[in-house]
Amino acid sequence: MDSPKRSTARKSRLSDRLEKPIEFLIRLAGWSAIAALGAIFIFIFKEAAPMLGRLDYGEFFTSNNWTPNPAEGNKAHYGALALIAGTFSTTAVALLISVPMGLAAAVYLSEFASGKVKEVLKIVIEFLAAIPSIVWGVIGLTVVGPWVQSAFGANQPGSLLVGGTVLGLMSVPLIVSLSEDALRAVPDTYREAALALGASKWEIVRRVLFPAAKTGLLAAVMLGLGRAIGETMAALLATGNTRMIPGALTDPVATITAAIAAEMNDTVHGDDHYQILFVLGLFLFIITAIINVVADIIIKGRGMHHH
Amino acid sequence: MKRLLFLPLLIAAATGLSSCGKDEKVIQAKGSDTMIQLASAWAEAFNKTNPDIKISATGGGSGGGMAALENKTTDIANSSRKIKDKEKEGIKKATGKDVVEHMVCFDALSVYVHPSNPIEQISIEELKQIWSRDGTIDQWEQVGGTGGKITLVGRNSSSGTYEYFKEHICGKAADGTTMNEFRLGVAELVGSTEVIETVSKTPTAMGYSGMGYKNNTVKWLKVSKKKGEPAIEPGELVARNKTYPIARELYIYTAGEPTGDVKTFLDWVKGPEGQAVVSKEKFVSLK
Repeated sequence: MDSPKRSTARKSRLSDRLEKPIEFLIRLAGWSAIAALGAIFIFIFKEAAPMLGRLDYGEFFTSNNWTPNPAEGNKAHYGALALIAGTFSTTAVALLISVPMGLAAAVYLSEFASGKVKEVLKIVIEFLAAIPSIVWGVIGLTVVGPWVQSAFGANQPGSLLVGGTVLGLMSVPLIVSLSEDALRAVPDTYREAALALGASKWEIVRRVLFPAAKTGLLAAVMLGLGRAIGETMAALLATGNTRMIPGALTDPVATITAAIAAEMNDTVHGDDHYQILFVLGLFLFIITAIINVVADIIIKGRGMHHH
Repeated sequence: MKRLLFLPLLIAAATGLSSCGKDEKVIQAKGSDTMIQLASAWAEAFNKTNPDIKISATGGGSGGGMAALENKTTDIANSSRKIKDKEKEGIKKATGKDVVEHMVCFDALSVYVHPSNPIEQISIEELKQIWSRDGTIDQWEQVGGTGGKITLVGRNSSSGTYEYFKEHICGKAADGTTMNEFRLGVAELVGSTEVIETVSKTPTAMGYSGMGYKNNTVKWLKVSKKKGEPAIEPGELVARNKTYPIARELYIYTAGEPTGDVKTFLDWVKGPEGQAVVSKEKFVSLK
């Protein structure tokens, strides 16, 4: 039997010895995110590079003639305008749905819901986040689609509205969870001070909590946007995958991600079609990066202004 | 304590060894989405009589199957169209072997519309004007249907059905030398089932898919070569004797003559048991 004293001594010696390697592992985990991002960028860039030199950028950005797999003897065309329009329009519709819904739900959870209700809702929302995207896509095509057809007179089951709605609903759980964390991180003293000044609950939310939590809220919205812009399977099924510039919410569209998913199978490593799909991937990567950097600048700029 | 730590390692090693040592062969069969249900049914029925050979059937389109042969990620490629010269060369270069073609059944490529559309038949000439980029028909009323603008519901470009339809319907462009492309703005769906599902919910739709995908939510059109000639409904006999204008053959491709288990499987597919599965899946057997 060890004496208590000896056992404590041994424990502390063990933790001393483990401290350095554990610190190293934690550091490694932190840096691995950056390493992975760099590696992914390099991979996409490397696969796209041969096409970047000879791509007709005028056609890429202004034409909707996407014919990557032409009949024998014909020239391939890589006009991505309809795909770019499809990605931006579905993402915009998704945000119009997910941001108000997500923020409202987060406010309710953090400020209004009581113990039991809150617990149940949080579990349900986490469960929603775990539903696979293919299931969302099928729901979009078979449930939301026909509903939009009868309610808005859409001609076909898949459309911009259906795709955007499904992508929006998919990003709601993410926005709720992160926004609720941000709102709860605002110290209770803020709420108490506002209450003491006679502010109503709505005033507290709008004038105190939103400004105080804005960095976290914007981060939540950005991640929601990232989810919507990058979503593939649901977009492929629910948008109608038709490359055209949408003139109405009930028109079908096709997104960049859907084009990559539907066509990648057809390509042989390194052929032109393979490379142009990686150019699309690179384009998506750059767009996402720009959005994130701009959001970062907005947060920091506002922050400096206030202090 | 230390010995206990080794236990999971031992278990892992043992299971690893056993799964390596066991002689279960898996034949990869990749390609045509039109044939995916057929390929899965073949795999299941074949495995019953040959329990030590497993077939893993996956889709991805005929083009995907050919690409997989070239990338050496599949043993056999299912295809709903003939192989292209470019693909033959690619596979020869990658594997050093000549591609071998195995005809496995027939299919009547069918033109589907919404059941509410009064149109009953269509000609190849009209289909060409509807689907081609330089086509002149985009209204249902021009071909005896109703609903205004025709909503075109097609497949994605890795589909063999897409390629077959483009080659045999769109054919040559108006200049008579170059080949036609599809019209811009055709829906490109990733499976035959999805085409049927979309056509069934779109009153103005016209779509194409294999005859095996017909169900009572959609209507197929009788097809004639030229306007005014007798139109023929998709069916077994007319697909086999090619009197149906867009009857086609379905294939399996291998790199080099098949040997061993792959040969066993292909002989079985072309034999009575495999062909019985073809009929059950509503495609047309060789005999």
